[in-house]
Amino acid sequence: MKAQKTAAILRVEDLTKRYGSGTAEVAAVKGVSLEVAPGEVVLIMGPSGSGKTTLLSMLGALLRPSEGSIQLNGTVLTALSERDLPRFRLREFGFIFQDFNLLSALSALENVVLVAEMAGVPRKEARLRATEILKELRLDKRLQALPEQLSGGEKQRVAIARALINNPSLILADEPTANLDSSTGHEVSRLLRHIAKEQGKSVLIVSHDTRIQDIADRVLWLEDGEFKEARTLAIDPVCGMSVERTKSPTATWQGQEYFFCSKGCRSEFLLEPHTFIQGEA
Amino acid sequence: MSLAARYLLQNKTRLALSLLGVALALMLILLLDGLVRGMQRQITVYLANTPGSVVATQVGVRNLAADNSLLPPGTEDDIQKIPGVARAIPVLSQSVFFELHDRKIFAYLIGYDPAKGGGPWRLAQGREPRQGREVVVDQTLARLHGIKVGQTVEVGGYRFPVVGLSAGTNSWMTTLVFVRKVELERYLLIPGLTSFVLVEPQPGVSPQILKERINQLSGVTAWLKPELMAADLRIYEGFFQPLRLMRGIAFLVGVLVVGLVIYTATVERQREYGVLKAIGAGNARMYGLVLSQALVMAFLGALLAVLLAYLVAWLIMVLRPQFLVVLEPSAILLALLSGLGMALLSAIAPVWVVARLAPAEVFRR
Amino acid sequence: MLNLAWRNLAQNRIRLLISAGGVGLALTLVLSLDAVVNGVEHQLAAYIERSGAEVWVAQQGVRNLHMVASTLPAGAAEQVAVVKGVASVTPLLYTTQSVQMGRDSRLSYVFGLPLNARAGGPWKVVEGKALPAPGEAVVDSQQAKDSRVKLGGSIRVFGRRFKVVGFSQGGSSLTNSVTFISSEDFARLRRTGSNPSFLLVKVQPGTSPQIVASRIQRQVAKVSALSSTEFAQQERKVVKDMGADAINLMNLVAFLIGLSVLALTVYTATLSRRAEFGVLKAIGADTGQLVTTVLAQALYSVVLGLLLAGVFSFLVLPLLLPWLGFNLPLQPTLASVLKVSLIALGIGGLAAIIPVIQIAGLDPAIVFRGGGR
Repeated sequence: MKAQKTAAILRVEDLTKRYGSGTAEVAAVKGVSLEVAPGEVVLIMGPSGSGKTTLLSMLGALLRPSEGSIQLNGTVLTALSERDLPRFRLREFGFIFQDFNLLSALSALENVVLVAEMAGVPRKEARLRATEILKELRLDKRLQALPEQLSGGEKQRVAIARALINNPSLILADEPTANLDSSTGHEVSRLLRHIAKEQGKSVLIVSHDTRIQDIADRVLWLEDGEFKEARTLAIDPVCGMSVERTKSPTATWQGQEYFFCSKGCRSEFLLEPHTFIQGEA
Repeated sequence: MSLAARYLLQNKTRLALSLLGVALALMLILLLDGLVRGMQRQITVYLANTPGSVVATQVGVRNLAADNSLLPPGTEDDIQKIPGVARAIPVLSQSVFFELHDRKIFAYLIGYDPAKGGGPWRLAQGREPRQGREVVVDQTLARLHGIKVGQTVEVGGYRFPVVGLSAGTNSWMTTLVFVRKVELERYLLIPGLTSFVLVEPQPGVSPQILKERINQLSGVTAWLKPELMAADLRIYEGFFQPLRLMRGIAFLVGVLVVGLVIYTATVERQREYGVLKAIGAGNARMYGLVLSQALVMAFLGALLAVLLAYLVAWLIMVLRPQFLVVLEPSAILLALLSGLGMALLSAIAPVWVVARLAPAEVFRR
Repeated sequence: MLNLAWRNLAQNRIRLLISAGGVGLALTLVLSLDAVVNGVEHQLAAYIERSGAEVWVAQQGVRNLHMVASTLPAGAAEQVAVVKGVASVTPLLYTTQSVQMGRDSRLSYVFGLPLNARAGGPWKVVEGKALPAPGEAVVDSQQAKDSRVKLGGSIRVFGRRFKVVGFSQGGSSLTNSVTFISSEDFARLRRTGSNPSFLLVKVQPGTSPQIVASRIQRQVAKVSALSSTEFAQQERKVVKDMGADAINLMNLVAFLIGLSVLALTVYTATLSRRAEFGVLKAIGADTGQLVTTVLAQALYSVVLGLLLAGVFSFLVLPLLLPWLGFNLPLQPTLASVLKVSLIALGIGGLAAIIPVIQIAGLDPAIVFRGGGR
């Protein structure tokens, strides 16, 4: 662990983001610190409104923090000028989004090539590199397809190829599996882990999807803008969401206590508890 | 508010841009039409404002604007003797080019006898010509070229002193310059000749009867004034052709602008239209929705166009007083009708999109 | 980024076509009006240029032909004939008159030609003879065809009947046609005496018309002498002066229409892809690259519009107009094409302003807020 720490690729210290001023001031993120080592997959979870989006925007250099610093690969992001930020994002980050965000007018291949070209790679070389990456992601038959002709899993794999094309050191993924069915979602998360381990890239995922916990090296819980002690989370047997034990509605059945994301799930459970428990098993 | 109106209002910048496009195209149609009307009014301005309701010209002459009608000396006396004639006014006219600042100004020299009439009907400044080569020029022409009372203008090497400025005689193509008839005869080297005679009937005598009586004279054709004015307008038909062409193109531009807006709006809402169709809206209702958007656009565009046209027409006439743009209330009708035509034509492509839409689209993500 | 711009536009082909068509038609307003004015200029000057004369002598101060009256002083022809370098002198009688042909009455240049005219006659006779004897007339073939007048038929000029003995081509213009009769008839019917309106001078081989013109100007009183080239130039200037204001107005209106059409297109094309531009910005595209894309979208549309305008003006209209009953001469000039290209570029640049501002101000963080949808 120690060796990893010294070689951390991402180093976040005391990161704070405040909106508004005076009495109306709200801190969305409060003094968050974090280190991510090369090849490490970190999952950040937390309820809605916990500050995940704000934190992700700051980590991706899309939002300036009010306080604290972010260091990626030895470069202090917070010290970069507005002019230099786009270039930095282009080379050092790979972004993966919930709704894939492919350019609808461009083919799968062109979507990937464009990002390389933006970074100054000559078109020919960019095409070669993009084709290769897409092949590795088993998209060699779909190179010329437009996004609307691709399935959800294919779209997300194109998006992953786009994130990888400029050989970034950190991949930021925002709910990468939310719009995918469970088997495709599983495949995409395994792919992300594979990339981290094989290519030594750090992967930072923000998600609600508990299935990603399996592939994460570390799971962090963000709540009210702060990382809370890794609490013991329970899984809502009805909807499958991770829920906090202390704040959730509960029900006891056959001597076992169950936790729910909402009263709705709880009452559903209480109608026919055995169906959910069996389903779990 | 109707769904169509809501759809249009959803993006205000876009609505503003598209209204501007439609309104400009319609405005151009109105302006070109007003310009044609103005030119027509200018071409007939002399006949419309001089005394008399019958005009006598040389036989065979088909109009005054282009034909050189020449009547032998004494014709007006023969006409004066015809029963029912109150007044016979001889006029000699000739088109000339003034040379002003290296520009050629086309004008009709009107040779008239100040004692008999046929001269300027409204003087803005100065007096009518009394002697020598004195002339009255149009006040707009004078203002444009810095001509003042007391200066001289030159035609074909002859100098004409300006003694008065006339109002209401302005015309882009055919400005009027008034000179004493005897002097014009001398300038044209045709002593005693007359181009046409303006004839005023005595009270109670119908112009038609008078016309028939004058036609008895040999070598003379008599016209009712409106006939002659219509004949003059036909001569300039060629001048209006480019304006008519431009008007046609402007209409097509308008069709495309409305079409662009409605088509874009329809394509963007394809999914919503699909939902409507799936819910059970029939094609007729869908076409109605598309068409009413086009109609609303065209209607608003037409209103804006009328405002713009009046504004631009006023601007043109201030900046270029030689142009006359005549916008009559019928211009509003023209704008609305053109707009309607644009709306109907422009709805074709979007209606096609809607008709092709499969309701099952809604189940595709 | 340029490829992206094109693909963004081309994704909806019908929209691209409608908008390029809109811009194209707006530009067509300018191109076709310019072409018409230029065409009329050439039509009007055609008679002067093709008359065979190298020097035109007119009444003092008269420097062109269209709708003008010129009467030379007596004896001018004899005086001009002896000027050094003059090979031949043809006296020409001229007026603008409406000519009655069948049921139609059209405005026409009427020329009175001597029987032995060395210049000034119809230069392209398609049927019959070129020089009319008394009682005869040579008329424009197209006009005769329109009015169903055949060789041997009759027309009325100055109120008298003339027998049509020849058809000429190429002399007519938008505003008037051309009719040739004998100077004998002309002088008698016009009652302006036999003093010619113009003298058409041919110069001796190897002599410059310019020099002969200035000699005539010096030696003969009360005349204006111009070389044919210069006389034709003056004729064109008449049209140019008359058309200048109309052209300026059309330039402005077409510019504004084109601008609103294109602004609409670029605005819509950009706005509907706001989210995509946000994604590009988040991934790391800098503002310059995004602005380039938007500008390229505008320029591509404008270039397409320009091409369409060329097709409309120079291919479609010439085919369509006669069919619609228009008889307009369309003669494009390089200068006009260049001007319209500049107008198009201006439209493209300005149309991109609003979208560029929007894209430049786009917050890339929208990608994490569901803005990507």
